[in-house]
Amino acid sequence: MVKAVVGEETQLKLAEDRLEKSSTPVQVGLLIGKLSSSLDRGFVFDLIPTPPNDAGAPACSVLEPAKDDKRKGPKPKSQPSDSFSLSIDKDWVAEHARQVSRMLVGGMKVVGIYIWASDSAFKNSNITLCQTVMGVAKAAPLSEIDWDERLLIHICYSPRRWTCRNCAVASNITSSSLRPCDFKMGRVLNSLQHFRCMYNFDIRLPIFHKNSSNLQTFSEALCHGISVHAKDLRSAKAMFDGNLVVNDDLCTSDGLHEVELLLPFMKDTEACSQKDIAGVVDFSGSVCSFAFLNPKEPISQAVADIKDDIITSLQSRLGIICDEADGEVGPTETSGQQARDGADIQEPRDGISSGTPVSQIVLQSFRQSCNLSLPRRVFVPWLAGTFVCDYLQPSETFEVLKDRCVELLSMEAPADESTILEPEIDAPSAVTKSFWDVVVPLPSAFDSCLEKSGIEKLRGESSRKSTEFSNVNIMAAGIFLLLSIIIGYILIFVRRS
Amino acid sequence: MENVNESTSVRVLCPKLVLDKNEPGLQWLIGSPFFPPHTVVSAVRCIHTDSSSPDYRRESEELRTLLLKGFEVIGALVVANSGDGMSAAGEAIAAARRLRKLLRRENGKKLDSRQVIGGVADCRGGDIQFFVSKSESLTSFEAVNVLYDGHPEKYVWERGCLLRCELPFKLPIYYPANKPKDSEKMFRHATEAVIAKFKDPKAAYLVEALSKTSAEVPQPVILRGVDLDFDTDLSNVKLAGESAQDSEAGLLSCSHFCLESKKSARVYSVEHADRIQVSILLNSSDKSEKSTAPVAEYFPALEEAKVLVVDFKLEVLCYSAKGLPLKHAVSKLLIPGLIDQFNLVGNTVLPNLLAQHPQLHPYHFSPPGVLHPITVVYELNYGETEMKQVEVRKSLHLRLGLPFDRPLLRIANALDISTSRDVVRSDAKWKGSSLLKDVHVGIPSSGVSGGSVSLVQGSYEYYHYLQDAFNDSGWGCAYRSLQTIISWFRLQHYTSVQVPSHREIQQALVEIGDKDPSFIGSHEWIGAIELSFVLYKLLGVSCKVMNVRSGAELPEKCRELALHFETQGTPIMIGGGVLAYTLLGVDYNEASGDCAFLILDPHYTGSDEHKKIVNGGWCGWKKAVDSKGKSFFLHDKFYNLLLPQRRNMV
Repeated sequence: MVKAVVGEETQLKLAEDRLEKSSTPVQVGLLIGKLSSSLDRGFVFDLIPTPPNDAGAPACSVLEPAKDDKRKGPKPKSQPSDSFSLSIDKDWVAEHARQVSRMLVGGMKVVGIYIWASDSAFKNSNITLCQTVMGVAKAAPLSEIDWDERLLIHICYSPRRWTCRNCAVASNITSSSLRPCDFKMGRVLNSLQHFRCMYNFDIRLPIFHKNSSNLQTFSEALCHGISVHAKDLRSAKAMFDGNLVVNDDLCTSDGLHEVELLLPFMKDTEACSQKDIAGVVDFSGSVCSFAFLNPKEPISQAVADIKDDIITSLQSRLGIICDEADGEVGPTETSGQQARDGADIQEPRDGISSGTPVSQIVLQSFRQSCNLSLPRRVFVPWLAGTFVCDYLQPSETFEVLKDRCVELLSMEAPADESTILEPEIDAPSAVTKSFWDVVVPLPSAFDSCLEKSGIEKLRGESSRKSTEFSNVNIMAAGIFLLLSIIIGYILIFVRRS
Repeated sequence: MENVNESTSVRVLCPKLVLDKNEPGLQWLIGSPFFPPHTVVSAVRCIHTDSSSPDYRRESEELRTLLLKGFEVIGALVVANSGDGMSAAGEAIAAARRLRKLLRRENGKKLDSRQVIGGVADCRGGDIQFFVSKSESLTSFEAVNVLYDGHPEKYVWERGCLLRCELPFKLPIYYPANKPKDSEKMFRHATEAVIAKFKDPKAAYLVEALSKTSAEVPQPVILRGVDLDFDTDLSNVKLAGESAQDSEAGLLSCSHFCLESKKSARVYSVEHADRIQVSILLNSSDKSEKSTAPVAEYFPALEEAKVLVVDFKLEVLCYSAKGLPLKHAVSKLLIPGLIDQFNLVGNTVLPNLLAQHPQLHPYHFSPPGVLHPITVVYELNYGETEMKQVEVRKSLHLRLGLPFDRPLLRIANALDISTSRDVVRSDAKWKGSSLLKDVHVGIPSSGVSGGSVSLVQGSYEYYHYLQDAFNDSGWGCAYRSLQTIISWFRLQHYTSVQVPSHREIQQALVEIGDKDPSFIGSHEWIGAIELSFVLYKLLGVSCKVMNVRSGAELPEKCRELALHFETQGTPIMIGGGVLAYTLLGVDYNEASGDCAFLILDPHYTGSDEHKKIVNGGWCGWKKAVDSKGKSFFLHDKFYNLLLPQRRNMV
């Protein structure tokens, strides 16, 4: 339960000036900040206005009361406006929150919304506002701990006044959903402490045979894998600048702190009895994570934020891939269920070429190796030395990134590309391993001489199979090349003759 | 670490070195790399033999996990009927060398430089002779003196501490469905990979003290796998001095986590030893790796495949000198211990890989008379009373020279290392029971000059009148005495039967036909004979009964009673006239005939407060005739003494 909220003075003043100059009667946007359970406090770092929706309409507008129908056009401000209320495109604000939350790093969240409106309009629209806050809360969940409140800041223009309210999002909207809470301006961004963690992981996800489990698409399998791994990650111990994080230590030094995560020894296997295996997914790579911490919070909070950020980052990347796949497939090929049925009927599909994006492949009925590269994470400098992040697919450039920063965060495009951090590199896409290579842990070099027979034989068989496959491919390509040359010659001959 | 004083004598720590001198056989002498070379901590019997020579393979396999890392075989003792001492010593030394070689997993080339002790004992009695062989290359050996240490516990626990590592993990095994035989190969590969992971440079070892008082406890320390050195020999590692404390984690020694308390006030025992907990973690933020964005690759199984998951629960205990640097304690003791235990468990699982896996669980014990703890892996699919487990315990009793009528290696006897050492174990375990235990501890002495005291062995609970809001005043004293005796059998792990109520005792007597059904619920007295019936019916315990025609004759029985407390150690019930007592011990001066009886009186009606009980004399030493000339035992009454016998079970 947040008792008091501190807003970052510099950013909030800037926002106020911006609003004043814009002369828009109403505006809605997101609050970026943090709710701290250990301090019972909320922090607001910045306000981000929600951009106009796809149709070009603003996310928020003033509704005139029905009885005023006859009079048209915008009302002058002097008009008694007791009966005005607000109309908010809730879905659009929620979508904005979803997109923005993907761009935030550890310790920074979408903690609610702000509204720039007159007092009476605000009072008349409590329910709409609560609904909007709930939509935002659903689209941008805070963390694993179910935080059932968000903030609603009202900036009133006459008289100029900032008020903050707690909005309970767990229950139905009632008159008590909105409760006032203490709000003041202060400096919070500059004192933030910076933590960084490079997290390397390598997970094996067994894909069970369709007889013994539900069918899973690639992305569903990964999503499940991430949530299972999240449990292990939460139990991980952490080191901070080489020392173990114990209890409620506070961090007393400035600068960038390195966090190292120590995972429990081989716990990442889901318990299961003897089961048929259709294949295995090797999910590996690195996640670079940042977290920003108020100096009054313990280091353990930064560790929790880092862990949270790692999981969120993996989920966001998968989300981006899936969003894209949805876009590609579009209305022609419909829901997952149909794709599944289809895949079931035409069992041995050859290749990804048939139109299904990799993320939507049903693994149990797909008999070839395939890989799904998640976008890499880049960090863009934001306020007071902090960062926001974005995800770039191999095909995307910094221009895309800049556009997103401008559009979603309404920040100025980073002029200098060299300020963007790129700690992760694109994964090489070559797949040369086979099933047995992956599931049988490689014995280290020194003892491999002991017993080569069994595994090597198995490995040998499967790799031979895969080479056969590639041989066929190469031969096909060669024949095709030969054919085309011949046809070319024939054509030339025909022309000449 | 070699002792400067090379013109050595053998120092023997264990209180009873020779387990059983009456029977010819071979015993392994156990020492520690942290002690001077000729220090014998204990001796364990060689129990597997091929015709006449020891079965070295089986012996080495069992001893490898039984002995904690930090203890090792340093010699052998031959108990022979007669014959040439020198040749027997030569045999012993050769056997010890051969076993050491197997234990160290060395193939014949490298010579063992460690000095080895050969001992010879004669069945017919006499002292043990010790010989020392300086090195494997020399065939000669010399006779040396023996020195018996008076404070062995102090010697062991002042110098060293315990390291504990608990490691539960799951191991998935993939294998082709049509070739289930391959699963074994896969399993071996998977175990190799796990062992490699124990030593992985990315592994991190979290070291912390296991202690209650949080204020003084030093902060946990992380050791990194990269910093560990698995190749140096333990004998080349320098022990840090007690005072030398290096702040760098890599150079910290075990003493960093050991309490420095007033040396005089300390109790030295396994329960009070310094304990260090080590956990293995995997560092997932290794900087050396290239950081590539996450990628998921799918590999379908081209032939039908299956997966099975094997659960492992390893728990290793090691003994380390306090001066040993932590990183060596981890690399040279803890990880080899983990590997050995893992191999043992793995080899047991392997034959049943595709069927039901045996549930294996390691336990640590510190049986009486054995200075060092031991580790045993029990198979618990069918509980510990299953015949196979009984056989396992019997052979362990044989090896360690433990009596066969005492369950000392049951799971309930296991050391509870995980809890902090300041909590007395038994207290925590019996928290549910509000009854007082061992009330005789700390009472004033008997006043018999020059007497030798023989007491009950082990704990009991004090049952007396009016307990559990049950009014048995005036008739229930024998019932209460019986309850105390049964609580003793419970606490020594002979039985898990609940201590019966008065009604249940009556019920048992009716069931065996000793009493009529109307007896149940009555307030009738019972005597020693009824008690023996109930003990036999409920626990299978048989009793000796001693009759005395008059209370005046009781002092004459003191010698016999003392013998009972020494050999059986069970509480005795005394029934005489209208009163029943529990006898917990005697103090007897053989020369003067002066004696006293330690009486626990069930007629007490007050609250369970130790002070009140002792001050009121409800538990205390009673002379047959006290200073005022009053007799404790009535001269005109006959007495029956019930001496419960331990059951032959382990």
